[in-house]
Amino acid sequence: MRFVAIFKAVTKNWLRSRTGLFFSIMFPVMLLIIFGSIFGGNTYIPTITAAFIMTNGIIGLTSTNTEFKRRGIIKRLSLTPLTKTDWIVGCILSQTLLNLILTGVMIGLGWGVFNVRVIPDPLTILMIFMGSVLFAGIGMALSGLIKDVEAASAIGNAISFPMMFLSGVFIPLAIMPSYMELLSKAIPLTYFSDGLKATIITKSMDAAFFNMAIVAVLAVVFIAIGVLLTRWKER
Amino acid sequence: MLEVQNLVKQYADLNAVDGISFNVNDGEVFAFLGPNGAGKTTTVEILECLRPLTKGTAHVCGFDVTKEKEVKEIKKQVGVLPQDFNGLDKLTAKENIELIADMYDNHLKVSDVIKLLSLEDKANAKFENLSGGLKQRVGIAAALVSDPKLVFLDEPTTGLDPKARRDVWDVIANLKKLGKTVFLTTHYMEEAQFLADRVAIMDKGKIVATGSPQELVDKYGGLKVLVIRKADKTLGDEIEEKFEHVTIDSNGDIHVKIDNTDELYRIMSFLTQKKAEPNIEIQTPTLEDVFLKITGSKISEGGEVK
Repeated sequence: MRFVAIFKAVTKNWLRSRTGLFFSIMFPVMLLIIFGSIFGGNTYIPTITAAFIMTNGIIGLTSTNTEFKRRGIIKRLSLTPLTKTDWIVGCILSQTLLNLILTGVMIGLGWGVFNVRVIPDPLTILMIFMGSVLFAGIGMALSGLIKDVEAASAIGNAISFPMMFLSGVFIPLAIMPSYMELLSKAIPLTYFSDGLKATIITKSMDAAFFNMAIVAVLAVVFIAIGVLLTRWKER
Repeated sequence: MLEVQNLVKQYADLNAVDGISFNVNDGEVFAFLGPNGAGKTTTVEILECLRPLTKGTAHVCGFDVTKEKEVKEIKKQVGVLPQDFNGLDKLTAKENIELIADMYDNHLKVSDVIKLLSLEDKANAKFENLSGGLKQRVGIAAALVSDPKLVFLDEPTTGLDPKARRDVWDVIANLKKLGKTVFLTTHYMEEAQFLADRVAIMDKGKIVATGSPQELVDKYGGLKVLVIRKADKTLGDEIEEKFEHVTIDSNGDIHVKIDNTDELYRIMSFLTQKKAEPNIEIQTPTLEDVFLKITGSKISEGGEVK
């Protein structure tokens, strides 16, 4: 049950960090207000939520973990009986909680500001969990590869931003050239964003299960890579 | 408690640890003394099962560091303060210690460890707001919370101011009283001299001398020196004539190397006879002299070879 202690510690550490809170919660709130006010909240609640669940993993987790690595925190923990798996599970659970809070805030904003009355169902929560695992897996893999904290945030941004634009999160794919629509099929965020749209807005079970299946497979793949690249022993 | 035989750690074409053997006995404070890059931390990290070894054998608390199953036992039985220890910034001192405590099936009460390290006043302060000395004390508390038999302290006072260093020394001296075996690495001569029962001097991946600070000083430290300050020139000349091993420095201070106690008495009675009322001081050699004698170099405050 060591992962519970890890979950508690990293979650507390994150909740008390103003920069963390800003980028994970306040920033997407601002974007939803802007985009939602212009184009309507319906589409943007799931897509912006999805996009920021992605950045929480790819940018947020990568930066935090690189920083933990640089400051010797991961080394300190690896000197205890804690296993690599417990560490990763704790981090993923923490990401899931953070993302559930984000989803809650976004849905709340929908009720309060855009008159979009979404009631999150278990399927939505499962979807959020799958997405959290997927993007935390990518974050874990990246933080295994990157040494430098600045590089972590730069690389995280370099990966996340193209994904955001190519997955139809901000600009609907329908108005994009067809090759871009094709490209969007190669992007994990597309399936997560579409899946979340299906579970919370359109309530289309077919689309929800289809996308969730793809996200689940990708999650397994990336978490495996993340486990492989997380080093628990020095050379 | 700890046995190391012919340990080698090779990186590319460099042997960071070059065939060292030593033991650490139950209940003693054992220190690795040497400059940065001597291989101290590499050795300690091999013993903590953080790095694999290239050659040789190492047993910690009777367990082999190369066997995965035994590594688990080692991790249960040792406590570690790593070099440049850091906790989670936004967690309090107490929460950081609790986090480490939670990694063990059995551990001491966190509040007891906090009391032991006199951290009660700072227990609820965030780690990021603590001074360097307090951070180290949190690190030592975390190393002790699992009630380990053996405690590794890797450069516990590097970067601390003299007051904070003294405080940490008191804490470490206290660990011995609690019956802990302590393995310390340091580049501070006074730290090894003050804390260690036995010292292994390390240089360029090798152990160049082992013994208690006193043994090392006796063996390698050279002679004691009697310094007579503010003496007038004629006194200096007379002493130079009558005694051996006399040097007079540019300040006019007379330095006499003392071979044995008899010689000391002879000089003292000579001074009394002369009714000279000199300002005298006896300088005993220290580990610094030992290190200089063995390696031909000194270690700077920052741990570099001079």
